[in-house]
Amino acid sequence: MKLTGKWFSVGVLFIIISFLLTGCGFKDIDKRLFVVSIGIDPAIDSSKKYLISLKFAIPIIEEKSNESMIVSEEADTISEAVRMIKPKVDKEIDFSHAKVIVYNQKIVQKEIEPNLYYWFIRRRDIQEVSWVAIGKPSALDVLKLKPKSERLPSNSLFLALGRDGPETAYIIPEFLFDFKRRFSEKGLDPYLPIIEVNKNAFEINKVGLLNKKQLKLSLKPMETMALNFLLNNESKSALVIDDKDKRLVIDTKRVKTKYKIVPDNQKQPYIKFDITINGRIEEADFSVNNADIPEYEKLARKVTQENVYQFLVKMQKANVDPIGFGLRYRARHFEKDDWKTWQQLYPSIKFKVNVDVQIEDTGLVE
Amino acid sequence: MSSNKVQSIHDSIKSKIQKSEDIVLKELKTKEKNLDTFYFKTLTDETQLQNFLIKPFFEIITPDRFLSYLQSHPKIKPFESEQQTLDELIGGAVILFYMDTIFILDSRIDRNNSVLDTTVETTIQGPQSGFSESLGTNLGLIRHRYPEPSLQVDSTKIGSISRTQVMIVYDKNKVDPVVLDNVKKFLSSIDIEIFQSGEQLLDFTKKSRRTLYPTIMVTERPDRVAVNLTTGKVILLIAGSPFAVLMPTVMKDLMASMADIYQTYWIGKFLLTLRYIGLFTSTMLPAVYVALTSYNPEVFRVQLALSVAGSRHAVPYPSFIEVLLMLIMMELLMEASIRLPKAIGPTATTVGGLILGQAATDAGLVSNIMIIIVSLGAISNFVIPISIFSFAVRISKYLLLLLSIFYGLVGVIIGFFLLIAYMVSLDSFGKPFFTFIENKSTN
Repeated sequence: MKLTGKWFSVGVLFIIISFLLTGCGFKDIDKRLFVVSIGIDPAIDSSKKYLISLKFAIPIIEEKSNESMIVSEEADTISEAVRMIKPKVDKEIDFSHAKVIVYNQKIVQKEIEPNLYYWFIRRRDIQEVSWVAIGKPSALDVLKLKPKSERLPSNSLFLALGRDGPETAYIIPEFLFDFKRRFSEKGLDPYLPIIEVNKNAFEINKVGLLNKKQLKLSLKPMETMALNFLLNNESKSALVIDDKDKRLVIDTKRVKTKYKIVPDNQKQPYIKFDITINGRIEEADFSVNNADIPEYEKLARKVTQENVYQFLVKMQKANVDPIGFGLRYRARHFEKDDWKTWQQLYPSIKFKVNVDVQIEDTGLVE
Repeated sequence: MSSNKVQSIHDSIKSKIQKSEDIVLKELKTKEKNLDTFYFKTLTDETQLQNFLIKPFFEIITPDRFLSYLQSHPKIKPFESEQQTLDELIGGAVILFYMDTIFILDSRIDRNNSVLDTTVETTIQGPQSGFSESLGTNLGLIRHRYPEPSLQVDSTKIGSISRTQVMIVYDKNKVDPVVLDNVKKFLSSIDIEIFQSGEQLLDFTKKSRRTLYPTIMVTERPDRVAVNLTTGKVILLIAGSPFAVLMPTVMKDLMASMADIYQTYWIGKFLLTLRYIGLFTSTMLPAVYVALTSYNPEVFRVQLALSVAGSRHAVPYPSFIEVLLMLIMMELLMEASIRLPKAIGPTATTVGGLILGQAATDAGLVSNIMIIIVSLGAISNFVIPISIFSFAVRISKYLLLLLSIFYGLVGVIIGFFLLIAYMVSLDSFGKPFFTFIENKSTN
């Protein structure tokens, strides 16, 4: 009896102490306002530096869904802006579902302040698997967008960037953690997908390449696809082979890229690319013959080789390195000043591209 | 025995028995001989009395021949002591005084010896009948299913007032002698007045007399008993109870259904996995709901987070009050449907489950998601095949809930660890509660 009495009092004490410990943690889900996307624009006609916009999702009640509200605030830092937004809303702001961070193009064109991405990393409640992107014409416009097919606020962006929705090679999503890493990693440069708003729809088919400071290069859709293949991201796409009189489209099923930096003890170091493309003919403006498949493969090889080569040279000229040649070089060379050597090497390095196209069938029974 | 002594025993027994309506003191008389009988007419089978005693008494004329009849009848025992005679009389035997000798005729009435259908541990396939309420019948059922000469039956009595007869059944070749010794020690240590069913033993398994998880299993299935005999378990049969007690019992046994044997390998494994999933969901679900909605909504996908938030928009109370409200409602429902007569039971479930649940969401007291959580938890609780264990699991979810209210997801994890630590500390007659792999005894 004595023992149980003791345990009883310990239990009561435990519960009393527990009551003291509650407080900041407990907040019901309906008392929270979920931020789904964050936009960062330069401030317009103001002494402040930035215009920070938060898109809040309004919970689904009965039949109404895809209800949202956007609150913007001008401030010099993101933290200030968020603190200023808090009194404007009726619930606690919860960043745990803020999955898209959009920068205005003007912000990345100038030198981007590290604070603008470190803030998201520092906050414990923002998931580092959030996507980062460039918004055109402005980040706020991207946030305001409400496509008709969308069921939840910003969900169409989540689907497009998360590849849950479309499987396309024109979108190269970028996660926050990777974005941060690319800023600090020598020999690996950041990139951001560009979200363009046209009236009531968005278009993500371009990628902006950054050096460690600012936007250097905006890729065209075709180049974006090439970069996607080189990064071994998404294989499913359509490869258009346009050669004077013949035009055919290959539906790519599998694309594999390997590259090798051939040592610099030789006179002329070069990067050798081996790209294997498996696919089938989807469309052609001439009559396709099964016997001629090797010929089409040869044609496709030639055209693709040229395209990829041009693209690589373009990146080299802009001195950006999203594929990570520098990192590969550093990983496999043990000199003290390997990074310096590479920096001197990269602008003059040669590229050798070897494409192997395999057309499995013409898609038709002869 | 001298005639005086017999007379004194006669008088002493007569005086010790309280005068009651159902005692019969009858003297049978012919010219040559006379016979005194004592019995309780409520406990004694009077047709047996008629066949074995009264008829022969008047058919056999000479006193000596009737004496040798009594001595050679298999149902008639000779006198041993006065106390034993008294006990037998209370147990339903007939005491005979004949020619300076005392005999005991075992003619007790065996009520409730019909075999019952299984109602608690039902299976789709396999044997459908359970034990009866008669000890002899039950032992017969076991012998029938386990025809091995090594099957040993010991007898003992438990209960200072009820003096319930208990039979200890085991396979002598397969039983672990340490376990058997533990069981016998355990049985002799039980201090109870009225002992009527095996479940009463549960609380004696711990020193504190307060147990949560059962380390003894009670079953109504003779086939389960036979299977468990082969694994070296000790079985207790209790007079008047249609349930046998299996010892030792570990968690693996509590999660096993007889259906596992009567199904094909993969179906059995699938069902077993399903039961463990049910065990987890019924303990964790309400706690996880509170932790996720009130502490860590980032664990949800955004789509789910928004619909949970939307379904809670009209709920005035914090999530834990909502959960407690629904859980208590569910417990009341479950308790009520057990207590109610079978005819009204389904009505109560319908009214409670469907109408009350729907009305509660419409009234904005609880959210839709909450109804799913609570009913899923209740349903998965029913998946656990042994009812004592399913009750224990029903209670342990409140521990997790309490911790999740104060500490969120961390609390759930800590609570889960506490539960596991507690279960690990348990043992059943020397066998750890978490025994999953049994090393087969080599005999």
